[in-house]
Amino acid sequence: MDIRAYIQSGVIESYVLGIATDEEITEVNQLRLKYPEVQTAIDEFSHSLEHNAFHDAIMPPPSVKLNIMNTLAGEFNKSKDDRAIIVPLQDTSSQRLTQPPGYKVWQFAAAASIILLLTSAAFNIYLFNRYSDTSERYQALLSDRNTLQANNQVMQTKLHDWQAAVRMMADSNMNMFKMPGIEGKQDNMAMLFWDGRSKDVYVMANKLPAPIPGKQYQLWALVDGKPVDAGVLDMECPGVCKMKNIQRAQGFAITLENAGGSPTPTMSQMLVYTEV
Amino acid sequence: MYLKQRQEDAFSYLYDHYSGALYSIILNIVPDKELANDVLQEVFIKIWRQIESYDNSKGRLFTWMLNVARNASIDTVRSKGFQKNQQSRELTENIYDMGGSTQLNTDKIGLKKLVSKLKEDYRILIELSYFQGYTQDEISKMLQIPLGTVKTRMRSALTQLKEVIQL
Repeated sequence: MDIRAYIQSGVIESYVLGIATDEEITEVNQLRLKYPEVQTAIDEFSHSLEHNAFHDAIMPPPSVKLNIMNTLAGEFNKSKDDRAIIVPLQDTSSQRLTQPPGYKVWQFAAAASIILLLTSAAFNIYLFNRYSDTSERYQALLSDRNTLQANNQVMQTKLHDWQAAVRMMADSNMNMFKMPGIEGKQDNMAMLFWDGRSKDVYVMANKLPAPIPGKQYQLWALVDGKPVDAGVLDMECPGVCKMKNIQRAQGFAITLENAGGSPTPTMSQMLVYTEV
Repeated sequence: MYLKQRQEDAFSYLYDHYSGALYSIILNIVPDKELANDVLQEVFIKIWRQIESYDNSKGRLFTWMLNVARNASIDTVRSKGFQKNQQSRELTENIYDMGGSTQLNTDKIGLKKLVSKLKEDYRILIELSYFQGYTQDEISKMLQIPLGTVKTRMRSALTQLKEVIQL
């Protein structure tokens, strides 16, 4: 008989797995006594099977053990024999089970302290994670609060500026002129305020498109037929922009100039104009 | 008292050491977790009561326990109560399509995970024989394959399985 071929035929595996037919079982049982290789193959496959099962072990819920212990409680009492000794467990198990009872106390104490240590370590890790988490949230809240505070200050400044603007417009010395868009640019419009006493000029650019980058609006005063620079419009200014002080003029115009303003107006870039 | 204590300790050790590995094989056959818990309980009680019938000259303790677990699991699956339960579960699953919360994907654990790596022809044979407990005769009729083919194919399947396990 070719015992190698027999071993590799798959019959050993079906024997170990318990799915062999009765004839196969009888055959294997005879051959394993005769050929040590057969026994070795059985042992090897049993071992791999066991190894694999342990590798993929899934812990059952603890309640199962409790139930079993309760069910068997009465049977532990019966003094059939001392099973603890005859149970043929592998490796360290039998050693452990036959140890004298004196070991039990410190073994238990050691096990308990290890469990306590592990529990405490786990709890520490848990608390540390909680701490990191909370601390992160706190930082986030803090930065949110700072942003809100800054926004609040910006809003307050704007409000202040608007209040000042309203007071200025309500002044009885203030003259108000509407600056309509010139022909072809009727969509544009601005308001001009000219203090009759202080001669300060203010502009509210309500309907001027935002200038393209690098450009800026510039106000001109028409004095005896000549344009005089009355300042550039800062688009950031809150609603009403204070311009230069103009003592006398017959008209005002706004042109789009290079940022920083020009010495003379670019007439093709005029948007709004008014006589005063 | 002392004797009782020792028996309890021995059993407790046996349980702690082997329950995980056996639970995994039970779940391979009985995918319902609640039911698998019952089977595990039954298996350990059986192991304890029949420990005298285990003969260590015939094989490893684990192999013996594994067979007890496999047989108990297959018996459970084949019992009428289980089949009824399964049918109603399949009905509800068809309606809700989400599956029971205690139902595990048991193809992803233990021995079944390895078997799922085999080619389909082989997988089905091991599934039917090992996990469902059908004889080769029954399998031959179920799959309408000649008994001789079932036998040779089963042998190849097992040889393959052995290789997968050893990886």
